Amino acid sequence: MTFPIINCTINSKSIQVCVDPSRTLMDVLRTELGLTGVKEGCGQGDCGACVVIMNQRAVNSCLVLVGQIEDCEILTVEGLAQQGRLHPLQQKFAEKWAFQCGFCTPGMLMSAYALLIQNPDPSEQEIREAIAGNLCRCTNYHKVVEAVQETSQYLMANQKTIGVWYG
Amino acid sequence: MDEYSTLGKPIERYRFNELVTGKALFTNDIKLPGMLTGKLLYAAHPCAEIIRLDVSRAKKLPGVVAVITHEDVPGENSYFYLSGDQPLFASDAVHYQGDILAAVAAEDENTAMAALELIVVEYNPIHGVFDMREAIKPESEKVWKNRDNLLDHLTISLGDIKDGFKQADVIIENTYYTGRAEPAPLETEGAVAQIEIDGSIVVYSSTQAPNKDRIQIARALGISENQVRVITPFIGGGFGSKIEAHVQIHAALLAQATGKPVKIIRSREEAIRSHVKRHPFYLECRTGARRDGTITAVEVKAYADTGPYINLGPEVVGVAVMNSSGPYYTPNALLEGFTVMTNNPIGGAMRGFGGPQAAFAYETQMDLLAETLKMDPLEIRLKNGLGTGMQVPTGAKIRQGDGMRACLEEAARLIEWDKRKEKESKPAAHLRRGWGLAAHVFTLAYGRKIPDNAGVVLELAGDGTLSLRTGAADIGQGLHTALAQLASESLGIEVSQVRVISPDTEKTLDSGATNASRSVIISGQAAVQAAREIKKTLLITASEETGLPIEVLNLKNGWLTAEGERINMSVKDLANKSRRLNRSISAIGYYAVEYPEPLPPNSYPHAPNIYTFGAQAAQVLVDIETGQVMIEKLVAVHDAGLIVNPFGALGQIEGGAAMGIGYALMEEIHSEKGQILTDSLDTYLLPTAKDIPPMEVKILEFPEPYTPFGVKGIGEVGILPTAPAITNAIHDATGISINCIPMTAERVLKSLAALKDDQIN
Repeated sequence: MTFPIINCTINSKSIQVCVDPSRTLMDVLRTELGLTGVKEGCGQGDCGACVVIMNQRAVNSCLVLVGQIEDCEILTVEGLAQQGRLHPLQQKFAEKWAFQCGFCTPGMLMSAYALLIQNPDPSEQEIREAIAGNLCRCTNYHKVVEAVQETSQYLMANQKTIGVWYG
Repeated sequence: MDEYSTLGKPIERYRFNELVTGKALFTNDIKLPGMLTGKLLYAAHPCAEIIRLDVSRAKKLPGVVAVITHEDVPGENSYFYLSGDQPLFASDAVHYQGDILAAVAAEDENTAMAALELIVVEYNPIHGVFDMREAIKPESEKVWKNRDNLLDHLTISLGDIKDGFKQADVIIENTYYTGRAEPAPLETEGAVAQIEIDGSIVVYSSTQAPNKDRIQIARALGISENQVRVITPFIGGGFGSKIEAHVQIHAALLAQATGKPVKIIRSREEAIRSHVKRHPFYLECRTGARRDGTITAVEVKAYADTGPYINLGPEVVGVAVMNSSGPYYTPNALLEGFTVMTNNPIGGAMRGFGGPQAAFAYETQMDLLAETLKMDPLEIRLKNGLGTGMQVPTGAKIRQGDGMRACLEEAARLIEWDKRKEKESKPAAHLRRGWGLAAHVFTLAYGRKIPDNAGVVLELAGDGTLSLRTGAADIGQGLHTALAQLASESLGIEVSQVRVISPDTEKTLDSGATNASRSVIISGQAAVQAAREIKKTLLITASEETGLPIEVLNLKNGWLTAEGERINMSVKDLANKSRRLNRSISAIGYYAVEYPEPLPPNSYPHAPNIYTFGAQAAQVLVDIETGQVMIEKLVAVHDAGLIVNPFGALGQIEGGAAMGIGYALMEEIHSEKGQILTDSLDTYLLPTAKDIPPMEVKILEFPEPYTPFGVKGIGEVGILPTAPAITNAIHDATGISINCIPMTAERVLKSLAALKDDQIN
């Protein structure tokens, strides 16, 4: 069987994938592209561990078929750090222990990232809303919320944005 | 005493970088050349005879490399964390929905799934046993032909129960039910197994008990234990569900059968269907007290539905029962536990291990007692609270119990308990506000006469860095960070100089399971002992080098000190000099829990002796039109001995309390005749960021004798008093009687409907 070539951008690199377009984006990212930071916690869109950013919005990559990503820009947790430097969001998560087992962390980071694209100065309630689709069984989410708040404050104070922070 | 360099400090989480960059390899992220996908066939019925099991068509499917059943197990066809009664593969019958009939290894997942569909199983469904209270009646159908449905009956008693009730002016009598809850770690169970050239096997396993995995794999494969190497990758939570083996033995059997690496990862549905649950309990409680509130007697009969296999059922019931009179001095107690077999999901270890069920019952009893006697719930708890030196129903005396009163008082202060009556209790026509308190008692480690030990290997290198090899799995709580802190503090080096080697049974020593809130205590003490041994060697060398007496020398932050002053000689120098003098600078630390206090006659022989206390308080708003409960504030104050790392310690309490909110209000596995109806995360609801209220969490340090630096385990305690703190607040808000958790909106509404309008607060 031949499959159509799908053109997209993943973590700022132009990528062509040629796989069964009915496979999920999560599956292709993990197994074909080695981006195993994308986690599978349920495969049904309930847990948020597989959240990635697709055209500036958070999506459960287990609910996206790879055939839908033609010309899309995808960002995964692997694309956050730049030249060995952690993204401020990652830095805050680390500083605050905003995780325990860390399995939900990649998805949590990406949901928070998507929020800060849309809303650089979110309220606590808006942060809770944005990560409500990301289940964490280890923490009480408070440190996650604080990490997102502090990232937002840091970026604004330094006149940076969530996407343009480096340098 | 010198201030600690690293203990009590917010040291960064060990290997945080991998966790926030997505580089951390969890079991499902492991990819080996030529790796096959393994899939398991689970029972289609919770209770049935197997008439026919035919895998021949599945075997012929192109891409399928092996299909195995009970006939293909070279060794013992059973799990063996403790009891060995649960088969790896069912042969003649299935007893619950999580039983496994066959395992397939195929070139890809789709082929493996297709092969499962080609396996023919003919069942003869049997009615089954699904109600624990019916199951113990003599006329009940049996789960096992040759075994009573009552698996275990435990009695723990103190004093004279009849006399105790005679002394009582009031008796509170109630029956409570706690729902079946699901551990739901975000990472489901999984394993990757590979046969090595020499015939040995390597198994990457998401496990809480790597060395128990090794025993079980060897036993099933019919090979020796030293041919099995279990390695733990990053582990995405456990909460009890990864103590007993899950798929690692099946993966190993498939690797043995095919000669190729095999990965098995459970889907969420498979995980919920098969792994252990928090036991549902019925607790029949009688509490007797004098008019002044002094408790004279407590009688509890606790019934737990443990499913069809022994697993850790009697142990969980034991912990529930021994603590079922609560954190209150009870001179006369008769506490009984009944572990009942059914065809429901297996009951086993889940954070708190029977404690949360007992706490819901004893803390609801306390509020009812206070109400009956018109006493304040705080006052009656303080009046009866356990303390240092007091005897508990097991016969043991509490070594360090100052935390009980201190935690209660602090929780009350933080929630402004004494000012609650000044606050608005009806902020709107449909809203009622209320406050609730709950305390708990819990025991850490396994208890007397149960092997409870750990080994840690420390190796100091010539450059002053330390390798710490631990057989205790870090399941996400930060254990390895804590061990690095304890070892570096004890040796006198910077914590950044420690590398922790995760469990790998070929390099690390058996340290038991990461459970029972035991690991920081036991593996911690092993690490401390080994570090002190190395330090002693370095100081002998230092004494010879400097000519100073050893008593005045010490090591701190990587440097030698004399009477507290730094000397220009580093741990690195001393390591090298010691080695040149043929002195070993590595050490094995081994520690087994000590119980120096003798027990009086007729005590519970397994009585543990490390006690921990805590209290939580909740302020809630109940919508009497919808039944919804909004927690406005939750405070949690726990006694943890010395805090090794505030982030890690507070995180355990925060996470435990979050799980407790789920347990109180929303989490319940529903099943119908053994078929789980809530087998996904959109039917079994976990608390989200929107369900968790503002929380204030505090730890009070009451150091424990006989543990390293006085630490206590805190992995489980956070969940213990949460549910009763919330349900007591719901009762306070509305007046409804609560004898069941979770108090879902539906149950709140039903209870409200049972009240007459003028009875609603």
